[in-house]
Amino acid sequence: MTLLVAAFTVGLILALLALGMLISFRIFAFPDLTAEGSLTLGAAVATVLIVHGQPPLLATAAACVAGSVAGMLTGLIHTRLKVNALLAGILMMTALYSINLDVMGRSNLPLTGHTTLMDYAASIGGLFSGGAETLQVLGRDLSWQDLSAFVMVLLLVSGVTALLAWFFRTHLGTAMLATGDNPQMVRALGVDDKTMMTLGLALSNGLVAMSGALLAQYQGFVDAGMGIGMLVWGLASVIIGETLVGSRRLAHLLIAAVLGSLLFRLLVAIALRWGLDPNDLKLVTAVFVLAALVLPGAIGRLRTRQAGGG
Amino acid sequence: MLEIRGLHKTFNAGTPNEVRSLRGIDLSIPEGMFLVVIGSNGSGKSTLLNAVAGSFLPDKGSLHIAGRDVTRWPEHRRARLVGRVFQNPFSGTAPNLSIAQNLSLAARRGMRRGLGLAQGGEQRPDMLSRVRSLGMALEDRLDNAIGSLSGGQRQALTLLMATWLKPSLLLLDEHTAALDPRSAEQVMRITQQVVARDRLTTLMVTHSMQHAVTYGDRLVMMHRGQVIHDFEGAEKRRLRPADLLARFEEVRRADLLDESAADLLRRRYV
Repeated sequence: MTLLVAAFTVGLILALLALGMLISFRIFAFPDLTAEGSLTLGAAVATVLIVHGQPPLLATAAACVAGSVAGMLTGLIHTRLKVNALLAGILMMTALYSINLDVMGRSNLPLTGHTTLMDYAASIGGLFSGGAETLQVLGRDLSWQDLSAFVMVLLLVSGVTALLAWFFRTHLGTAMLATGDNPQMVRALGVDDKTMMTLGLALSNGLVAMSGALLAQYQGFVDAGMGIGMLVWGLASVIIGETLVGSRRLAHLLIAAVLGSLLFRLLVAIALRWGLDPNDLKLVTAVFVLAALVLPGAIGRLRTRQAGGG
Repeated sequence: MLEIRGLHKTFNAGTPNEVRSLRGIDLSIPEGMFLVVIGSNGSGKSTLLNAVAGSFLPDKGSLHIAGRDVTRWPEHRRARLVGRVFQNPFSGTAPNLSIAQNLSLAARRGMRRGLGLAQGGEQRPDMLSRVRSLGMALEDRLDNAIGSLSGGQRQALTLLMATWLKPSLLLLDEHTAALDPRSAEQVMRITQQVVARDRLTTLMVTHSMQHAVTYGDRLVMMHRGQVIHDFEGAEKRRLRPADLLARFEEVRRADLLDESAADLLRRRYV
């Protein structure tokens, strides 16, 4: 039971990454590699600030701001300096690797002995536990600490998802959606499409950095390499979610990204339990995303051919 | 309302692919006038419209709209003054957004986009009545994605969006060229109604000689980046497609003469 709750907690934390990917990949069709660097940046900023005695809430907020600035810079490099989207992301991701090491001072930084958001959650959970360490759920033991972390992350991710759903119904959010859909049209309606894309990437990377900040606080350390492969992870969550929900409405897509992340993390936990070598995890994820990208088109072509033949 | 002075634009300057698209255009459109621009392929008519819309900056010359010098304004800033309908029916709307979302974007053309809700309930009756006025039975489909509509329906909605807030200048870029004949006539009828109702200053580019003589108060013919004919008032009203065809034939013959003279000179001296 503890393993299941832990898998869902990480799934929820990485749902913020998936929401960020949804904005860059799906709304703006921008393959933003910055995410691999901004996830670690968020984790590094939050960890360093907590280690230096700052409150974890402030540290998490600062991580979001740092991620947003990174996303904004990628947006500016692409829109103002006219650098190819992929290259702009690669440049920022590469620069962030050094910046993250500078922020951390070394390649791995533990949070042991410092108060994190997870400790806050455990304290609140303690108010309900009546002093007990564990509780029984479906006949299995579950620690109050794990349950508290899960509930806190669930509330946070629900809040962020609701905020995003509201934002994309505002004038600014609608203009952002329309920019991804048809930049020529939004310019003709007085919207600066370059600014919209830059803001969108800032929002996306802010969410990714928040995901990194929470992940560091949950696992208790930050590592310079923790962002590697996260882009494909987020994309896999978005694709699974879209398949689950089968709707193109934005509110549904937001919820789909969260559900996709949860399901993906669950599948990973099951695969690891069945003996998958953790070293092969990123390979399996990459193959999965490739299949998810290619198969729908291939199946469609096959059906068309069969219909033509019949 | 629109003042164009000495407008020049050359694409790929200094390369073998150099194209002098606009060669010193001078044009003045007073408030409330409906001007039609006609010309053969490559005459510069669409380039002129794009220059006015701000799709690119001119090499030389100036542009004033509603008394403001907009020559160096980017496209999105000019949109405060300009409403625009594109040739491609898919260019003027966001296909994955609903009709209501598209209209809500148009309702703030050129205004600040803040954090207020885009589709506040108070806008709905206005949207319904304006969409109903198109006569296309779209009022029950406000929440449908606009990408599910036909080209004619999308073009009519683009026209509605371009004129939702009265623009100082309406630009129509061969906006019926990609439609089937029935939809084209329907969109032209709506265009005529909207322009007349709001007394809109309009610049319409067309390749249809029938539309060129039927619509508008004034007609200019372009050739090789210059205005070569300008018909207004009674002269414009008397025009028939055959007259335009004769003018095009004259131009074509002059071009052929130019080419044969150039060929002769080349053979003799080069």
